[in-house]
Amino acid sequence: MEANAYKSENMHENIPKKTLLEAVKDFFKKDLVQYIVKRLLMFIPTLLLISVLVFFVIQLPPGDYVSAHIAALASEGEIVDADYAASLRADYGLDLPIHEQYFKWIKDIIWTPTDSTYYRLYGSHHNWKYSFAYGRDVWDVVDDRLGLTIAVTAIIMLFQYVVSLPIAVYASTHQYSVGDYISSVIGFLGAAIPNFILAIVLMYLSYKWTGNANVGLFSQEMLQNGIHLYNFGEFLKRMIIPIIVIGTSGTCGIIRSVRAQMLDEVGRQYTLTARAKGVPERTIVMKYCFRAAINPTVSGLGGVLSSLFSGSTVTAMVLNMQIQGPVLFKALQAQDMYLAGAIVMVQAVLVVIGILFSDIALAFLDPRIRYSGGGR
Amino acid sequence: MKKRLIALLIASTMVVSLAACGQDDNPGSPSSGSGEDVQQSQASTPESVPDSTPEGSAPETPEAPAEISGFGEAPMLADLVGAGSLPAVEDRLPVADDVYVEQTDATGAPLEIGTYGGVINLLGAGGSWGLSRPVMESIIHFNSDGTYYPNVIKSFEHNDDYTVWTFDLREGMKWSDGDDFNADDITFWYYMCHLTNYDTKKSWPALKETVDGEDAWATLEKVDDYTVTWTFVNPKFPADFIENGDFKWCWAPSHYLLDMIPDSIYVENPYWEKTGLDDEQVLLNAQAKGIDAATVNDLGKAIAYYWWNEDGIPCLNSYVLSTKEGNNSRDAQLCILERNPYFWKVDAQGQQLPYCDEIHFNATSEDGQDQLMFRSGELDIIGVLMQDISSLLSDLGDQAQLRTFAGTDWGSYQITFNYTCAEANYAELFANSKFRQAMSICVDREQVSGLLSEGFLEPGQCAPAEGNFGYDAEWETKWTEYDVDGAKALLEECGLVMGSDGFYDFADGTDFILTIYTYTDSGADAAYPVLEQYYNKAGIKCATKDIEVSAFDTEIDNNNWYAVLGPHTPIGGVSLKSRVQPFVPIAQSAEWYGEYGTYYGTNGAQGVAPEGDMAKLVEIYEKWNATPDTAERDQYTLELYDVHKENLWTIAYLKAAGNYNLVSSKIKNHPDLLVWDDLYQYQNLVHYWTLFKTE
Repeated sequence: MEANAYKSENMHENIPKKTLLEAVKDFFKKDLVQYIVKRLLMFIPTLLLISVLVFFVIQLPPGDYVSAHIAALASEGEIVDADYAASLRADYGLDLPIHEQYFKWIKDIIWTPTDSTYYRLYGSHHNWKYSFAYGRDVWDVVDDRLGLTIAVTAIIMLFQYVVSLPIAVYASTHQYSVGDYISSVIGFLGAAIPNFILAIVLMYLSYKWTGNANVGLFSQEMLQNGIHLYNFGEFLKRMIIPIIVIGTSGTCGIIRSVRAQMLDEVGRQYTLTARAKGVPERTIVMKYCFRAAINPTVSGLGGVLSSLFSGSTVTAMVLNMQIQGPVLFKALQAQDMYLAGAIVMVQAVLVVIGILFSDIALAFLDPRIRYSGGGR
Repeated sequence: MKKRLIALLIASTMVVSLAACGQDDNPGSPSSGSGEDVQQSQASTPESVPDSTPEGSAPETPEAPAEISGFGEAPMLADLVGAGSLPAVEDRLPVADDVYVEQTDATGAPLEIGTYGGVINLLGAGGSWGLSRPVMESIIHFNSDGTYYPNVIKSFEHNDDYTVWTFDLREGMKWSDGDDFNADDITFWYYMCHLTNYDTKKSWPALKETVDGEDAWATLEKVDDYTVTWTFVNPKFPADFIENGDFKWCWAPSHYLLDMIPDSIYVENPYWEKTGLDDEQVLLNAQAKGIDAATVNDLGKAIAYYWWNEDGIPCLNSYVLSTKEGNNSRDAQLCILERNPYFWKVDAQGQQLPYCDEIHFNATSEDGQDQLMFRSGELDIIGVLMQDISSLLSDLGDQAQLRTFAGTDWGSYQITFNYTCAEANYAELFANSKFRQAMSICVDREQVSGLLSEGFLEPGQCAPAEGNFGYDAEWETKWTEYDVDGAKALLEECGLVMGSDGFYDFADGTDFILTIYTYTDSGADAAYPVLEQYYNKAGIKCATKDIEVSAFDTEIDNNNWYAVLGPHTPIGGVSLKSRVQPFVPIAQSAEWYGEYGTYYGTNGAQGVAPEGDMAKLVEIYEKWNATPDTAERDQYTLELYDVHKENLWTIAYLKAAGNYNLVSSKIKNHPDLLVWDDLYQYQNLVHYWTLFKTE
């Protein structure tokens, strides 16, 4: 028994130990830098292609902003003459052929010269154009909700990972236990119930139990005075429903996938070998199995940056949350193509960057992954 | 509940009709005795203005009633006065004689004297007009019975031949930033904002006329600081000028806007010189004032037309858009209108209005959130659908009160046809009144009422609703008797022949398919499947095309359509003076006259020249337009309505729906039995500046 214990300790010590810094250094010594440069260069054609798609897809529905705008005015009882429509189209360049509109759009985003009116007005070389629906510079509209969107989504994501990963590990290491069943049931429910329905039910319950439906992220008081320490509790209270609604579906997905992967890993040869050699169970689970099991979850991180930017559109609308998703929705409805185009473009850029990050993270997690070809 | 609603609706229309009938004999219907009543008692129907004022003068502004010995103000303003940051209330109001005393609501009922403070919580402001409708102070104000009285201006009058109109202003009246409001603000608006088309509304008919076949505009003269005159070459009758629904304001704060007027739009005038500013400079000046515009055209429309949507621009309304970042845009989650400390109206005790400190517009993103927020006390007034009223009221008990606005549409679920359809066989068929009769009687309206409105809307026809001018019971029931066989017989009389598939074809054997357009969110897309089964039963093969509204409008403009269910410009409205376009084919506007309207709208350059009764409508309208005589005008309106009754170019299946507000019981002075119409600026009739809140 003693010999065994000694052996186990010894074995464990024999595994070469590296500090985190060394690990990172070692990691980047490999062919990764070259890979990253290559990927960054690939960004340019990818994004150009995406921009073409975005611009043309947004233009697909019949009519344009001016016709949507005039229809909206007409429904408010205002009569608009044809001259006004024509002058609006000319002002915004909507009367130009579509390819010219595209080139002008992309050119101004990439570089607006110093001697342009736009630069003198906004002091920026990147003219994302004017949002018709909001009557403001596109980037101003996007910027308005950016901070809040990132904060809210980050809190929700943090919730997802903090809650789901321990549950998944517990469920996989205690397979068919009561805890496992409970987490499975919750997991299935969370994954199966559409977010918006859960949102409505929770708002109703909140109204029934507290007399307040907690619609929206902020109380009127916060919308006037901003968030401070004294009303932060109220803000957190209002975050409960969004966290539960948006967080649970993601949480459930992660629990299911990590649990399945973990079960897979726990039964592998290397786990058995490690266990046979007396490596402590905690080390086996956390250092080896878990690291391998979160591979698919990390692959999925590519979309995280993008969703941080846009938030969850449908749920945000049901919950009346002031994040980016509903702005995109409104922009698409009003055929506000520059605003919609800007949001979709930024999302696309973030997806591309996100995928790069997740690829790098995967290599860090799993040393078997290599980036240059050649079958090493 | 349903019975109660119907009773309410009938009561509302009866009140409106009684008021309309009785006003000439009993002009002082609201109440009598005080200065305000002088104004209201002299207010008359648009048609009766000239008759009741032989010299052509219209009501004078009210004087403060004798019992008002001093003026009161909200505590928050008194604090500012105490701190020396605001002038005393007497110095903020117009001179005592010109102060406007508000004593009755839009239905003529006396107002309760209110208390200061509190916030009125409304739903998000929505479109371009959302922030203005509750609080807009316009040249004149209408009562819900169609009578009107001078509002921002103290009085108006015209000369004998209606070529010169004089506006008198209120001496000492101030903009919301404390600057004097006077005749210069009117010349500034007219010569720098309107005639330059900077506001994009130079097409307003109120100030425009035709001289020697060319468009011409009124000449505005400043007589003194508080008097201006508008001079026309031809007579300009009230309906085309002071009563015109578009002509809501004629002023702009010159002291604030002048540095945003570029030379590029300047037109020569006797009052204002060029500002010496180029386009870019005005955009920079606007930006410095927090107004974001991409082009000079955008800027003009923002500051000279939709001015209520830009914070910082002084106005004359009871509430002013907050300048606080985050609450100063109609798109904000919480948009705030703050009390105008210089508002020029007081209550019967001389307390300066408005009573409430602020109006909050709380944006929501989904239907139903408003009801949740109303239930939890976060909203004070919401619009509700007929179907939801009974459950809401039974849940909320005495926490809420229902307020009704009668509708002015000519029936709901209107269907109309393209009489200028490019395909001759369709155009000919639609022109045949027997076809329209068949389309009308083939539908079981009772059943449709149950299916589409849960029985709330009664069967009806495309006709003025009870209580509205021109109501005709016979018209309302014309072609409403359900008779499938009769419909088939009529279709055969139209020359259609039954095909082997059980549907009618044209006589030449070609298929007759009625493609019915609807536009998304009009509600008609849901109604179509219900109506389709009746059409099919009568042997009419039909198809539907539901498209987004702007694409829908494009199809109409391009004359690429056959029939429309739920038209974008439905026929109806309180009267011709509100808007002519729904009733007469004079513009490229309503679907039912299609290219005929384009013909008049473009002076014959495009479109199709109308014939027969369609042309007769325009002839009658021209006569209506050429007389100031009320009785004559009414006669012409009825004549015009008769042509509509005869032809029924548009069919409706149910009566028009009203509008309903659910109002928190804490809110006082919200009138009931109002009328929902563009002429009255919809909820403007509520007079939000008189509402107060009790805890």
